[in-house]
Amino acid sequence: LGSIFSRLTGSKVLTEEDLKPVLEAMKQHLMKKNVAKEIADKVCDDVGQSLVGKKVGGFQSTTSAVRQALSNSITRILTPKTSTDLLLSIRTKLSTPVAASQKRLPYSITFVGVNGVGKSTNLSKVCFWLIQNGFRVLIAACDTFRSGAVEQLRVHVRNLGMLGVDGATNSKGRVELYERGYGKDAAGIAREAIAYGRDNDFDVVLIDTAGRMQDNEPLMRALAKLVATNNPDKIIFVGEALVGNEAVDQLTKFDRALRDFSAASGGQERGIDGMLVTKWDTVDDKVGAALSMTYVTGQPIIFVGCGQTYTDLRQLRVANVVQAILSD
Amino acid sequence: MVLADLGRKLNAALSSLNRAPVVDEKVLDALLKEVCAALLESDVNVKLVAQLRQKVKTKVKAALEGGADKGKEQNRRNVVQKAIFDELVGLVDPGVEPYKPKKGHPNVIMAVGLQGNGKTTTCTKLAVYYQKRGFKSAIVCADTFRAGAFDQTRQSATKAKVAYFGSYTETDPVTIAAQGVAKFKKERFDVIIVDTSGRHKQESELFREMVQIGEAVQPDMTVMVLDASIGQAAEAQARAFKESANFGAIIVTKMDGHAKGGGAISAVAATQTPIIFLGVGEHLHDLDKFSPQPFISKLLGLGDVQGLVEH
Ligand SMILES: Nc1nc2c(ncn2[C@@H]2O[C@H](COP(=O)(O)OP(=O)(O)OP(=O)(O)O)[C@@H](O)[C@H]2O)c(=O)[nH]1
Ligand SMILES: Nc1nc2c(ncn2[C@@H]2O[C@H](COP(=O)(O)OP(=O)(O)OP(=O)(O)O)[C@@H](O)[C@H]2O)c(=O)[nH]1
Ligand SMILES: [Mg+2]
Ligand SMILES: [Mg+2]
Repeated sequence: LGSIFSRLTGSKVLTEEDLKPVLEAMKQHLMKKNVAKEIADKVCDDVGQSLVGKKVGGFQSTTSAVRQALSNSITRILTPKTSTDLLLSIRTKLSTPVAASQKRLPYSITFVGVNGVGKSTNLSKVCFWLIQNGFRVLIAACDTFRSGAVEQLRVHVRNLGMLGVDGATNSKGRVELYERGYGKDAAGIAREAIAYGRDNDFDVVLIDTAGRMQDNEPLMRALAKLVATNNPDKIIFVGEALVGNEAVDQLTKFDRALRDFSAASGGQERGIDGMLVTKWDTVDDKVGAALSMTYVTGQPIIFVGCGQTYTDLRQLRVANVVQAILSD
Repeated sequence: MVLADLGRKLNAALSSLNRAPVVDEKVLDALLKEVCAALLESDVNVKLVAQLRQKVKTKVKAALEGGADKGKEQNRRNVVQKAIFDELVGLVDPGVEPYKPKKGHPNVIMAVGLQGNGKTTTCTKLAVYYQKRGFKSAIVCADTFRAGAFDQTRQSATKAKVAYFGSYTETDPVTIAAQGVAKFKKERFDVIIVDTSGRHKQESELFREMVQIGEAVQPDMTVMVLDASIGQAAEAQARAFKESANFGAIIVTKMDGHAKGGGAISAVAATQTPIIFLGVGEHLHDLDKFSPQPFISKLLGLGDVQGLVEH
C-alpha cells in the first residue's frame, strides 16, 4: 500500500485533486482484498472526505495520514456496535425469572444464509462451544429439503455426544437432535423443537435452515415465516469469506425479507442480528468480505469459521482484519 | 451471467459512444471506465480488469495510428467496439475443446472443488443429463469426510434413479473411488461420476488426497465445480486446483441467483479451461449446457454490438 501514497509529496493542504489518484489506487487495493466494489467506493469517499483540507507536512506525514485515515475507517466499520457476548445473552435470558405457572423457554438461535456457505457445519461448531460452556443444546433440523441434511446433523450430534467435556467421558444428554424428516414445514418443526426444548429443560435450541438464494421469493417468504412465528433470540446470517460483490446483495435481501415479513405479520420487526463468516481459512489475506458484510448491516461478526472441525470457530479480531486488508 | 449482463451495459456504454461527436482518448477512457466498473461489480479479477483496460487502449491506439479509421468517426467507433468486444470474448472463451463422453467406453468424470460449491448436487445432475442421452450413468461417493455425504448421494441418486456406490464404514476415499469405478466399469456403465470432498489450496494434505483419488480412477475428465458468487479468491484457488488436479472443464453453479459469475470467469481466464455447464437451481434438471461460441454469438446478437463480427 505504501507505493500508493508515494505520489503525495511535499507539505501542503490536501485537495480533492491531490487525493483523487491516491483514492483510486486505494479502491483498487480494497477490491483486490475482496471488498465489494460498492463498499470500496464508499470507504474511499469517506477517507477522502476526512482528509480534504487537512494540512500535511512532507511525504512521510502524508503517507501516514492517509494510511491512518483508511485504518480508522475500516476499524470503525468492523468494530461491533452491539454486544457479541453470546454467552452473556444466553445466561441473562436463562436467569430471568418466569411466572410460576410457566416454564422457561430455551434460548433460540436461527442460522440463515445462501446455499452451501456452512450453516449446518458452523451450527455444529457453535453447539460444541455451548456444550463446553455447560449448556444443554437441542439442534432442530429445519432443512427439510436438501438431500442428506437431516443425516448430516445426526452425524454431528452423534459425534458431539461422544466428545467428553469437563472431564466427563462423553456429552450424552447434553446434546440432542429434533427432527421430523423431509418435506415438512420448517416453521412448524422449529416451533415443535422449541416446545420440546422447553419441556425437556434444554438451555439452547439451534435451528438449522435450508440454504436459499436471496431473490428466490417463495423460499425467502418461508424463511421469514419461520422467523416470525418463532421469534428466535438471535438470527445469525452465515456468509462465506469467499463471497465477492454478492455479499452486499445477500445481506440486504435477507435482512429486508425478514423485516418486511415480520413487520407485516404484526409481530416485532426482526432482521439479521449478526454474522458468522465461514471458510476464513480459504482466502489468505483477502478478507474484504468481512468489511462488506459489516458495512451493509451495521451488525457485528459474532463468529469466524476457520476450518472443518468443531474447534475451528473464532471470535473476530478486528486489528488482525484491518492489518490483513492494509497489507500489500 | 456476467457477460449477458455486460452485453446490456456495454450496449448502453456503446450507444453513448455513438452519441459522442468525436472519438478521442477522453471518450475511450469514459467508456472503459464504465465497462471496467461493470466487470468489477461482477467479481472479475481486479488485475484482469486492469489488463483488459490496458490492452484495449493499446489496441485502439495501434489501430488508429495504423490508419484503421480512415479518418471517419464511424470507423473509429468500430475500432473501439471491436477491441473491447474481443477482450471480453477472450475472457470466457479459452479456445479449448472439452472432453466429450463417448458411447461404448466407460467415461470416468471426477468432480473437484471448494467446500460447498455444489459438487454433490452437480454430480447427480450430470448423471441425469447423460442418462437422458442414453449413457448408462452412475455416481461414486468418494467423500468420506463430510457428515452425511453418503446419505446425500444416496438420497439424490435414488430420487434421480441413477446407480450409486459408497460406504458408511470405509474411511479411505481412494479405496472407495477405486472400488466404485472398478465395479461400474465391470457392469459396463458408460458414465461414471466420482464425487469428492470439498477442499482448498491452503491444506496440502487435502490436495494430496485429491491427487491420489485421481491416480486411482484415472478420470477422462476432471471437472472443477465453482460457485458463481466467489470473489477475488477464485483465481488463486482455481490455479492451485489446476496444478494438482489438471481439471479439463469448469461447471459454474448457483447461476439461478443474482450472482454474475465473474469470479468463475476469472478462473476460466487463469486456467484456460472452458465452462461446460451452468447450475441453475437445486433440482435434478437445473443444469444448462454452456459453450462459449453460441453464448458469444448470442451476445453478438445484442443490438448495437451486432455487426462487429464483420471486422
Ligand atoms: N474450509 C472450511 N470449510 C468449511 C467451513 N465451514 C464449513 N465448511 C465446509 O463447507 C461445506 C458446506 O457446509 P454446510 O455446513 O453443509 O453448508 P450449509 O450452508 O449448511 O449448506 P446447505 O444446507 O446445503 O445450504 C462443508 O464441506 C463444510 O465442511 C470453514 O470455516 N472452513
Ligand atoms: N440455488 C442453487 N443451489 C445449488 C446449486 N447447486 C448446488 N446448490 C446447493 O448448494 C448447496 C451445496 O451443494 P453440495 O452439492 O452439497 O456442495 P458440495 O460441493 O458437494 O459440498 P461439499 O461436499 O461439502 O464440499 C446445497 O444446498 C445445494 O442444494 C445451483 O445451481 N443453484
Ligand atoms: Mg445445511
Ligand atoms: Mg459434496
